[in-house]
Amino acid sequence: MSSDLSSLVHWILFLPLGAAALQALLLRRQGAIASWLSVGAAFIGAGLALRILLTSEADVRWHAEIARLGDISLGVGYLVDAHARLMLFVVTFVGALIHLFSVGYMADDDARGRFFAGLSVFMFSILGIVVADNLLMTFVFWELVGFSSYMLIAHYFDRDYAAAASRKAFVVNRVGDLGFILGLAFCLSRFGTLQFEELRALSPAGGWPFALGALLACGFIGKSAQFPLHVWLTDAMAGPTPVSALIHAATMVVAGVYFMARIFFLIDPSLLQIVAVSGAGMAALGGLCALAQTDIKKSLAYSTLAHLGIMACALGLGRPELALLHMAMHAFFKATLFLGAGSVIHGCHHEQDMLRMGGLLRRMPVTAAAFIAASLSNCAVPFLAGWYSKDAIIEAAFRSGRAAEAALLSVAAVATCLYSARMIRLVFLGAPASEEASHAHESPWTMSLPLIVLGLGYSLFGGLLAAAMIPASSLASVAEPLRAMAFHATAPATLVGLAALALGAFALKFYAVEPGRDALRDRLPGLYAALERRWMDGLYRWYVDSVQRRVAELIAFLDLLLVNGLAVRWVAAGVPALLGFLAGRVFHGGQTRAYAAWTAAGVIFIAWILITR
Amino acid sequence: MENTALAPHLILAGLLFALGLAGVLVRRNLLVVYMCLELMLAAATLALVAFSRFNRTMDGAVLVFFVITVAAAEVAVGLALIVALYRRRGTVSSERLDVLRP
Repeated sequence: MSSDLSSLVHWILFLPLGAAALQALLLRRQGAIASWLSVGAAFIGAGLALRILLTSEADVRWHAEIARLGDISLGVGYLVDAHARLMLFVVTFVGALIHLFSVGYMADDDARGRFFAGLSVFMFSILGIVVADNLLMTFVFWELVGFSSYMLIAHYFDRDYAAAASRKAFVVNRVGDLGFILGLAFCLSRFGTLQFEELRALSPAGGWPFALGALLACGFIGKSAQFPLHVWLTDAMAGPTPVSALIHAATMVVAGVYFMARIFFLIDPSLLQIVAVSGAGMAALGGLCALAQTDIKKSLAYSTLAHLGIMACALGLGRPELALLHMAMHAFFKATLFLGAGSVIHGCHHEQDMLRMGGLLRRMPVTAAAFIAASLSNCAVPFLAGWYSKDAIIEAAFRSGRAAEAALLSVAAVATCLYSARMIRLVFLGAPASEEASHAHESPWTMSLPLIVLGLGYSLFGGLLAAAMIPASSLASVAEPLRAMAFHATAPATLVGLAALALGAFALKFYAVEPGRDALRDRLPGLYAALERRWMDGLYRWYVDSVQRRVAELIAFLDLLLVNGLAVRWVAAGVPALLGFLAGRVFHGGQTRAYAAWTAAGVIFIAWILITR
Repeated sequence: MENTALAPHLILAGLLFALGLAGVLVRRNLLVVYMCLELMLAAATLALVAFSRFNRTMDGAVLVFFVITVAAAEVAVGLALIVALYRRRGTVSSERLDVLRP
């Protein structure tokens, strides 16, 4: 049974890689064939993942050793436990629908072959992280994910902002990954193994070292765009919209959360405290910043930051299963929101400014319905997908008596309702604010179908389906805060949620001003500017320009002087000059007798060595 | 020849060789230097003959004939070179022949 399933995992993992290889080698100019090849691989993967999710009771294990260095065994393997089964299904299913959406969205792009090859490489990489049974394999696929993200953000590489954004994403992620690889080295030197199962069985006396969890969490901070390395995510929206949906909302950025849940057992409680506060803070701030963006994708990116903060907070509260549940729910509704945004952008002829949209409800009814359904789910309307996870996390924060986190999460919940209402108001209601918006058209079926399936099906019924699908073992602790909310109308999270919804309804009215105007910017320009300003980017710019560059210039000068000048030039020029001078004076006098004398001395010297040896 | 008879021959050959080498190093007249070189060659030849006799083979003795023959030819060439050098430079003092100085 187990070996049978591990061969299924092989197929899930290597189908996208095969597709990518075919596209890269043969189908670079055959965009249409390449796109359907990727779609096929993704859908087959989704079917196989669904089969694993539904049929397997036991964990799927498979391991092959690649190298053995002394006592240390390095290898590849699968560990598909309950969390991995859920993640596998979410990634492949959302991924497959986004592949289908991309067929329509990228229809008139010349570089479709490269784009779909990139998507397939990404699927291969992220699935590698999901099934990996050791830290090293996770790290390798972690880097592959970073590479494919870089490649897909830079899809429009001939535009400066896309090239800069991809570079920024890559560099910021390297900062986090430095900590990750140091954590790997630390783990190997201290415990001698990288296998999750063996590490879990260790439970060292005196607890796990704080530094190990902190170093490994650096990777999570970079990849999941946690404060202070969150700056790359909003810029990553320079990539095509399906990429933003798949990588920078639904799957890759939550891989960090998944990884943290996987190594949860070795994280020190004091580190969890920090993660909880920083996550809750980012949830509140990210949600508020989303109010001050006019680009629809950037606004959604701030919303993603907020949700990543909520997941981090759930991890910090010691509830990794809640974080994973929210990861799954968020993947569905945020993918829908991004695909809806993509459909809107496509329909409005590549207009991304929300202030130049409006009145699209009548012109793009399917997109509008899916977008609004996903927004309601995002706002945690009771019994929609987002409610099951987000409000459960808020309830968990209240129940564990963490006032600061609970307050920040409540702010995040309110902010979610506010920016969702603002988006719906600006994009779909009112009158068109531009020529493009008034000539908008509904998208083709390849784009609408994923919207219908994801938006209506999963945003509305996702929670119920998840309850049916998640194996009981991992659901047990999820159920308790849910029951508290569902059956007690006075649970704190329920009250917060209802208050947030009321404020959202008020925001719909607040933003109902003339088309092309933002009510908050008109009434409180100072607050709007403060939210729009990118404080951390400014800080990093100052640091790089004023500190790092100065140090680098000093080091470069010393390098030029000491290494390049003294150690290389001087030695390279000085030694031959000295030897030449000596040789000219001592040996090459031009006197035949001197030559003969030196020759005789040499012979005598060699003879003396040979005799006395 | 007895074992004891080898040593005097080799000592004689060594003395001749040292004498020749000293001459090469000390003398300045190329003609004398050349004679000293021949003395060194003779010393080596003497040692060869002595070893040949000591080992009771004729190989060394035969080889010596060839060496002497070639040396005679070489002396002819060498003396001709020295004469040519004298004609060209007007001297055969090795101290003044230092055009190879770098």
